[in-house]
Amino acid sequence: MNAPATFESFYLFDGEKKITIEKDTKVQNAAIFTVNKEDHTLANMLRAQLLKDPNVIFAGYKIPHPLEHKFILRVQTTPESNPSEALSNAITDLISEMSLLEERFKDALKEKQESAFD
Amino acid sequence: MSRITEEIRKKVILKEHGLINVNSTDFPGNYSEYDDSWNFKTFKKNFTIEVTSYNGDDVEFDMVGVDPSIANAIRRILIAEVPTMAAEKIFLYNNTSLVQDEVLAHRLGLIPIRADPRLFEYRPEGQDRPEVEQNANSGDTIEFALKIKCKRNPKAAKDCTDPDELYINRNVYSKHLKWLPIGEQPKLFEKHGGIRPVHEDILIAKLGVGQEIELKMHCVKGVGKDHAKWSPVATATYRMLPEITLLRPIMGEQAHRLQKCFAPGVIEVVEENGEPTAKVVNPRLDTANREIFRHDDLKEIVKMGRVRNHFLFSVESTGCLPPQELVTEALLVLKNKCRVLIREIEENWLKSS
Repeated sequence: MNAPATFESFYLFDGEKKITIEKDTKVQNAAIFTVNKEDHTLANMLRAQLLKDPNVIFAGYKIPHPLEHKFILRVQTTPESNPSEALSNAITDLISEMSLLEERFKDALKEKQESAFD
Repeated sequence: MSRITEEIRKKVILKEHGLINVNSTDFPGNYSEYDDSWNFKTFKKNFTIEVTSYNGDDVEFDMVGVDPSIANAIRRILIAEVPTMAAEKIFLYNNTSLVQDEVLAHRLGLIPIRADPRLFEYRPEGQDRPEVEQNANSGDTIEFALKIKCKRNPKAAKDCTDPDELYINRNVYSKHLKWLPIGEQPKLFEKHGGIRPVHEDILIAKLGVGQEIELKMHCVKGVGKDHAKWSPVATATYRMLPEITLLRPIMGEQAHRLQKCFAPGVIEVVEENGEPTAKVVNPRLDTANREIFRHDDLKEIVKMGRVRNHFLFSVESTGCLPPQELVTEALLVLKNKCRVLIREIEENWLKSS
C-alpha cells in the first residue's frame, strides 16, 4: 500500500538533475557529487577508477538511505587537479575500457566459434 | 618480501576461520616498487577475455585483468538493466477457470517472449496513450490473444480415467498464445518466424469441463529493475579463479585423503619415484568446500586462495536474446550510463567555470 513505484529507482523526475556538485568548504580541492537515480553499479565503478588516479587523495561513495535512489561521491584531489576534472577523466577512462571489453569479447567469441568448427 | 607482497596484491586467501587479503590494495602510492596509476596501455596489455564454453542459452567466459567493481557492474546490469519484452497489461474478457484473474495475469507476465527488444521502443507514459486494447502501437507493443475452452472428449473410451484423454484443452500451455501482429510487425519479424513465447510447454492454467479463458495481452519493453519478469537472464554469476598450493609434497595415504577432500578432478595422485604423490591438476573445478579443514594434518599444508582479478563468468539467458548478445548489450548499457553522466558534468562544469 505504501510501496513506491519500482520505476522510481531509475526514472528521473521533472526538475531533478542527474548530477549536482557541491564544493567542500572545509578543505581545498574537494567536492561532493550527488548523482540521482543511480546505485552501486555505477558508484563503485567510479570510485574504483578514481582511486587509480595518482592526483586523487580521497574518493568514496555512500548511498545515504536505501529507499532514496541516489548516491553521493566525495572526491578530493591534489592542487594539480580539481575534482570535476578527475571525475570526468575517470569516466572517460571507463568508457574506453568498456569499448575495449566489447571489442575483445567479440573477438573471443569469434575465436571460440572458429575453433569449434575445427 | 616480494613474494609476500605479490600474494597480498594478487590473491584472496581462504583460511580456516575467515578470509584474508580481501580488499584490493594496489592503489598508486601504496607500494613503492610498483606503479599502479591508471595507464590504458598497461591495462590493454594485461587484459584478456576468453570464451570457455558457449552452447545454446549458456555462455561461460574468463575475464582477466579487470577490476572487481567492473565485473560486478556487468553482473548487476545483466540481471537488472538489459531491457526485454514481457506482458504488462492483460485485458480479460472471460475467465471461468479456477485460477484467479490476478494470478493468471502474474503468470502470463513471467512467460519469456522471443522478441528482440532492440527493435522496440519504450512505451511512452501519458494521457494521450491510455492503456486500452485499441491503443497498441506497432513500434512499442506486442499483442497476444488467448482463447481456450475445455470440453469433454467424445472419442474417449468408456472406462478411461486419464484426464488428458477424457477432456480436450484441459491444460493451457504457452503454445496456445496466439500472436496478433500490428502494423508493420509481420514484415519486420518474418525472418525470425514471427513472435512467440520462448518455450511452448509452459503450463499457464488447468481447466475443468466448461471453463474457459479469453484474454488479450500487451507486451512492452522494460528492465529487470522495474519487475523481475523483464530480466533477460536466468542467472548471471561470476566467481574468482581458485588457486590451490601445496606447501610441501604430499605422498602415500595422505595423498589419497587429500584427493577425496576436493571436488573430483582437482587433485590427481600420480606415481612419482614409486610413491603416489598428490598434484593439483585443475583448480578451476574447485568449489571451496573446506573439507580440508576437517583433517588436522592436511590443513596446514594446503593453501587455498582466489586470484583477485580473474573472473569466471557464467551467463544463462532465458531465451529472448542469445547470451553473447546479452553481454554486449550489458556493456553498451554501461557505456551509456557513463556517457549520460559525463555530458551532465560537462554542462555543469562549463556553467560554473
